[in-house]
Amino acid sequence: MYLIRLALASLANRRFTAWLTVFAIALSVCLLLAVERIRTETRSSFASTISGTDLIVGARSGSINLLLYSVFRLGNATNNIRWDSFETLAGDRKVKWAIPISLGDSHRGYRVMGTSNAYFEHYQYGRGQALQLAQGQILSDDPFAVVLGAEVAEALHYQLGQQLVLAHGVASISLSKHDDKPFRVVGILKRTGTPVDRTLHISLQGMQALHIDWQNGVPAQGKARISAEQARGMDLQPQAITAIMLGLHSKIATFSVQRQINEFRGEPLLAILPGVALQELWSLMGSAEKALFVVSLFVVLTGLIGMLTAILTSLNERRREMAILRSVGARPWHIASLLMVEAFALALAGVLLGLALLYLGIALAQGYVQANYGLFLPLALPSRYEWTLLGAILAAALLMGALPAWRAYRQSLADGLSIRL
Amino acid sequence: MLRVLLALGLIVALPLWAAEPRELTWLEMLPADTAPAAPPAALHDLSKLADALAAESGPAASQQSVAAPVVEALDGQQVKLPGYIVPLNVSEEGRVTEFLLVPYYGACIHVPPPPPNQIVHVKTELGVLMDNLYQPFWIEGPLRVENTSTELAEAGYQMAASKIYPYEITDN
Repeated sequence: MYLIRLALASLANRRFTAWLTVFAIALSVCLLLAVERIRTETRSSFASTISGTDLIVGARSGSINLLLYSVFRLGNATNNIRWDSFETLAGDRKVKWAIPISLGDSHRGYRVMGTSNAYFEHYQYGRGQALQLAQGQILSDDPFAVVLGAEVAEALHYQLGQQLVLAHGVASISLSKHDDKPFRVVGILKRTGTPVDRTLHISLQGMQALHIDWQNGVPAQGKARISAEQARGMDLQPQAITAIMLGLHSKIATFSVQRQINEFRGEPLLAILPGVALQELWSLMGSAEKALFVVSLFVVLTGLIGMLTAILTSLNERRREMAILRSVGARPWHIASLLMVEAFALALAGVLLGLALLYLGIALAQGYVQANYGLFLPLALPSRYEWTLLGAILAAALLMGALPAWRAYRQSLADGLSIRL
Repeated sequence: MLRVLLALGLIVALPLWAAEPRELTWLEMLPADTAPAAPPAALHDLSKLADALAAESGPAASQQSVAAPVVEALDGQQVKLPGYIVPLNVSEEGRVTEFLLVPYYGACIHVPPPPPNQIVHVKTELGVLMDNLYQPFWIEGPLRVENTSTELAEAGYQMAASKIYPYEITDN
């Protein structure tokens, strides 16, 4: 115990360098933990976004691309699929439910998704949780109704009954708006922590009505314009959709249905298993994750070596201190353990300060990260893996402390009670 | 004395031996008397040849026979089976909690996917962490055989896995 007191008192005497060392270690620990946190949270948020969907069907492209645009609202579709293909698939004997999805428009940077009420009934996230309404109702017969995700409503302060205008394309500042056909908010969903929160849901009919008077890629002008009222009276049966989510009666049939869809003769289609595509995405991101992790490990190592340098350089100027300690009865191994304790104390302070920095950073950045990247960073206690990392850092510090300890041991043996400087 | 010891050893060892799950191969999951699938019908009308060769309009590769028979005798047995994991559900921690176990996976799209009686639908509470899709695993647990194909479920094998561990190549 007196050894620890002595070590701390000695450190207090050199508090400026000690604080700098602690701060360097703290920053590196904070970086390491932040990288680890973001990695695990990204994975878990991706993994919990979709559950219970057996197959996702889209125009033929790549499996990761299809997964990203249909589920995570990232990137864009290469092509649409025909409505009659949807009807064929939805009518298949092995298919339990089918959700049509139509994408491509946005509202102030949030994606708009055309779908049917099957979406609210069958789409599941996390561990099989279904979507729930916080207020209002799901889509009705009116084509100009919109159901908001929790975050859209919160960030833009939208209430039930509010009118809003959708924009053509997915840019957050859109120059081309569907302002002749405003939508009315009929429902707001509960928060899910998935991209659903950042989506505006309209009916397929609404999606069709938006573009009904578009010709050759431009909205109709003058008399050719069709007002919202007129559109309501027209046939709004969609001709094309972007993707389909399928639920099957039997999981065993997944492969045969997938094969059937991939060889569908009506048009080129692609069916993917979301779990497999997610796994492919991980292996793609895995190398980037590993690189980041290795970089932050090296930063921690640099911090620890900084500490080692600080202690080693102080050894010479502290020979007098050691000699005094020896003169009052300290044995060489006392001196050695004093230095080990010092290294450990520095590392411990660094780790604690690093944790404090991490939590401060998360608390400050939480809202921003969630709004801009859709990633929720919880203020959770360190996981078992993170504890292991921290323990390893402390152990490494102790190990490194052995080097100055050994040198001090040798010096105090050689110097004895008197030193000749 | 030696004999007594041996006998004792046997008595102790036998129950352990019995508790060891039976190691199953995928071919044992096909009934022995299954007739080989009929070869594709020959195309005699040469005027249809162009249609058959055109990629999109040609006949799709024939589906696996829907009524793939299963071996009912395997129902309830403790088995140990190697295979590839095709994830269906991934938990928040990234562990695969529900998957299809198949004898081969990926890359080979020249032949149709495995038929229903070569797929095991596995659920596991704990989940399995996997780094890549092409790593084979041993799966242990009681096998359940669904032998009737109904509207809701197809005939096939299911398992609540108790043990999952990577398949290692042994030298012998």
